[in-house]
Amino acid sequence: MAEVVQTTRTSLREGRIGSSVSRKEDDRLLRGEGRFTDDVEPGHCLHMAVGRCPFPHARILSIDVSQAVALEGVEDVLVGSDVVSRSDPISVLRPVADAPDLGFYAMATDVAVFEGHPVVSVVAVSRHVAEDAIGLIDVDYEPLPHVFDVESAMDPRSPVLHPRVLKSNLLVKRLTGAGDPEARLAEADVVVEERFSINRVSPLPMETRAIVAEWQAGARELTVRHSTQVPHLVRKQLAESLRLEDGAVRVIATDVGGGFGLKLGIYPEDVLACLHAMRARRPVKWVEDRIEFFRASTHGRESVHSVRVGARSDGQITGMFDAYAVDSGGYNSPMGSPQLTSHMFTGPYRVNDAGTEHSVILTNKAPVGAYRGYGQPESCFVRELLIDRLACRLGRDRVELRAQNMLHSQDMPWQSTSGATYDSGDYEACLRMAAQAIGYEEHVKRGRGPGTDGRYTGVGLASFVERTGYASSKFLARRGSRFGAHESVTLRANRSGGVDVYNGVSTFGVGTETSFAQIVADVIGIDFDSVRVHLGDTGASPLNTGGFASRTLIASAGALRQAAEELRAKILRIGAFMLDSDPEDAVISRGVVCLRDDPNACLPLAEVYDRAIINQGMPPGEEPGLESGAQFEPEAAAYGYGTAAARVSVDPETGDFDVERFVMVHDCGTPVNPVLIDGQVLGGLAQGYGQAVMEELRYDEETGQLINGTMMDYFMPTAADLPEIELQHTFVKSPVTPFGVRGVGEVGTVPGCATIASAICDALADFGVEINRLPLSPESVWRALNQAKASREVRS
Amino acid sequence: MPERVEVTISVNGRKHRRQVEPRMHLADFLRHELGLTGTHIGCEQGVCGNCTVLVDGQAVKSCLMFAAQADGQRVTTVESLAEEELHPLQQAFKDAHALQCGYCTPGFLMAAAAIAAEGRRPSREELREELSGVICRCTGYENILIAVERYLEDRGEVEAVGG
Repeated sequence: MAEVVQTTRTSLREGRIGSSVSRKEDDRLLRGEGRFTDDVEPGHCLHMAVGRCPFPHARILSIDVSQAVALEGVEDVLVGSDVVSRSDPISVLRPVADAPDLGFYAMATDVAVFEGHPVVSVVAVSRHVAEDAIGLIDVDYEPLPHVFDVESAMDPRSPVLHPRVLKSNLLVKRLTGAGDPEARLAEADVVVEERFSINRVSPLPMETRAIVAEWQAGARELTVRHSTQVPHLVRKQLAESLRLEDGAVRVIATDVGGGFGLKLGIYPEDVLACLHAMRARRPVKWVEDRIEFFRASTHGRESVHSVRVGARSDGQITGMFDAYAVDSGGYNSPMGSPQLTSHMFTGPYRVNDAGTEHSVILTNKAPVGAYRGYGQPESCFVRELLIDRLACRLGRDRVELRAQNMLHSQDMPWQSTSGATYDSGDYEACLRMAAQAIGYEEHVKRGRGPGTDGRYTGVGLASFVERTGYASSKFLARRGSRFGAHESVTLRANRSGGVDVYNGVSTFGVGTETSFAQIVADVIGIDFDSVRVHLGDTGASPLNTGGFASRTLIASAGALRQAAEELRAKILRIGAFMLDSDPEDAVISRGVVCLRDDPNACLPLAEVYDRAIINQGMPPGEEPGLESGAQFEPEAAAYGYGTAAARVSVDPETGDFDVERFVMVHDCGTPVNPVLIDGQVLGGLAQGYGQAVMEELRYDEETGQLINGTMMDYFMPTAADLPEIELQHTFVKSPVTPFGVRGVGEVGTVPGCATIASAICDALADFGVEINRLPLSPESVWRALNQAKASREVRS
Repeated sequence: MPERVEVTISVNGRKHRRQVEPRMHLADFLRHELGLTGTHIGCEQGVCGNCTVLVDGQAVKSCLMFAAQADGQRVTTVESLAEEELHPLQQAFKDAHALQCGYCTPGFLMAAAAIAAEGRRPSREELREELSGVICRCTGYENILIAVERYLEDRGEVEAVGG
């Protein structure tokens, strides 16, 4: 039976596991004293600007830089041939297995394959002058026919983007699954088949990408300040591309203004800034502007799905299949193509015969990389809408059909057809709680309307399971990954009586400094305030993997626990020795070590730490110093889960809709800091909401150029747009993670699109409206209404 | 080299005289001329509001104003709020977990400070509209609204923000 966390008494344990202590990060950020990359400027720093291809696909015939070089204040110019001779291609950290390497250099040489592809870069005494110089560079382009989407990409008449490596624009195709889905679909009583389109969106952190590179030639040392989620991986990638040994590169990420998967690994501009710094022998800064950001930072999602589900007439789902094509843009980006769509396809349902066919297709658009959710919002959207339609076809209640097919806690651990091993959970409890909270039964009784205002009401539901932390390197090994899965930590006592924690992840908003300190304080038994967490400097932290995939806490918690236990044991040994007693009779309580039976026999921790550090009067055989380190790799992923529900009202005349309520019921396992968990879930939901109803990067089919690549034109949620979100949690401990935690960083993004689409389709069910395309807008709803009306007229 | 103009701008109560390029906007002036890096730049086209400061008490997106236009005016930035302790508005943000990465936070603080300086107590719906000029990608806004409401509620009489 699943173990449920008791949460009632934990609020008393200020700063320990389970306490909503306020964040260590907050004071400096609130004072405007955060250290984001652009906030630091070394002396004599040069500034880089990048010239980019304005066409989606073009041959570069010539580049004339003579006027730029002559401009006062310009120090260095790089073109493609310089970059190819001085650097190697950027490695793909997580390619789709079996995908060939496309040789992604930091600059286009003969052909540019997306609008925004760098073709020339300049460093100058100021950003203004560098941009002036870019304006003086004359690039002669021959525009080439471009590939707009996954369908046209596979047309044999279309140009091939990477003819040296590929025969077509298909980068790789992979089949996954188990059982015999085709046979089950063929024999099913009912098969529902749909085609769905997922929108291309931007992760859009408020801080754009930024880098400051300093090269010390004599020391052969490159120091890079970088806005990244993965300092140690950036170090490795930069060393590779720049033909340096890893030891020559130090990466420092202090405060990072949001990541969301966009800041995983390096981009072309990072290599360019370093090359300039190494050539000019001066520090170089580059801060991406927002116009560049939309064209040169990776995009998220965009895929087309042909999905089928088969069921018996009693509602039992027997087979599922999703053949989908991902629009990867011009290159396989440093984080490759989102890969959890296939992994999480069957969601919370008991299906033994299911599979996916995943095609990664190249087009002349900006590369797609990781975005919070990494393929899971897509699978949730297609699966949950399909199940709604299955319920409709079978004349079944949507909640009951889901409940009938859901896995139960006694089924766990359960291996899904994709090979995912669901660890634990009560999926149906979340479904029932969400249905209850949104007033599902009342809605079914009351009907959809119309109300007195002519609007129809709909309730939508979406259930999901989410992979959090990808677990072990064994999981990655079969998938072509170029990184591992461990986290590491160094704990070091200091002579002020505090403990310093060193770890290689960076601070990008998720509260890592706080949650790490809570775990260390909890395990050792010391004050939260006495723990100081130092993050993001490869020169100061043990080698690790990084902050992404909802893994930071899961993986780090194991290292923190192990290192903290080791430190605690040594503190007790030394303290007990100083108190003329045995370690088992001593306890650590906040700032002191004392004897269990004699609370008056007490020593301040600062004295114990001091004794160890200067190695005076230590127990015989004890090593000097008070420091511990640990590495930890999770054995298995923890699967988060939940159900979201929404109530909408829709005007059937105009397609205008209003999301009146949004409920999320979610299991977070053992909560380390409940308030921070709510913050993560709410923030993810806002992004999911944005993708559902507002956000879409739109390219013009004819010109191949991005139509809405500014913040004026790319709509994302503001405070005025979001409905109030009602959160509920369940607390089933994961049996496979330290302390029973589950990741919470990405979960909010998963159910938003499915839930709202489900609600709108429900509201308009009487009109026969089915919506298969994101984002949902009044216009798209109005069009769907008209289309449904037209097809009814044709039938009648 | 490009021509320069002389500006005298009072920032957080202190006068600064500088020679600047006419094209330098106020956000860059604050950040790069004065080293006041708490004002953050997110779009440079007046949409994200992360660079919001007060100019003569009014909330202004400092990327949309040239430094030369601020000549002779009083500018207030996030650095003016806290002394030894956090300003109550900042404390309200901390208590409500109204920030995650912290990049947009100075923009929200200054937008809220402008509302407070006018002595207003907008409703939740009005506040949603008023704060919609600053964009946050981390929090989903709920906790920001709670923090600002609590601050405006607890504040009692008008404090001198923007002086």
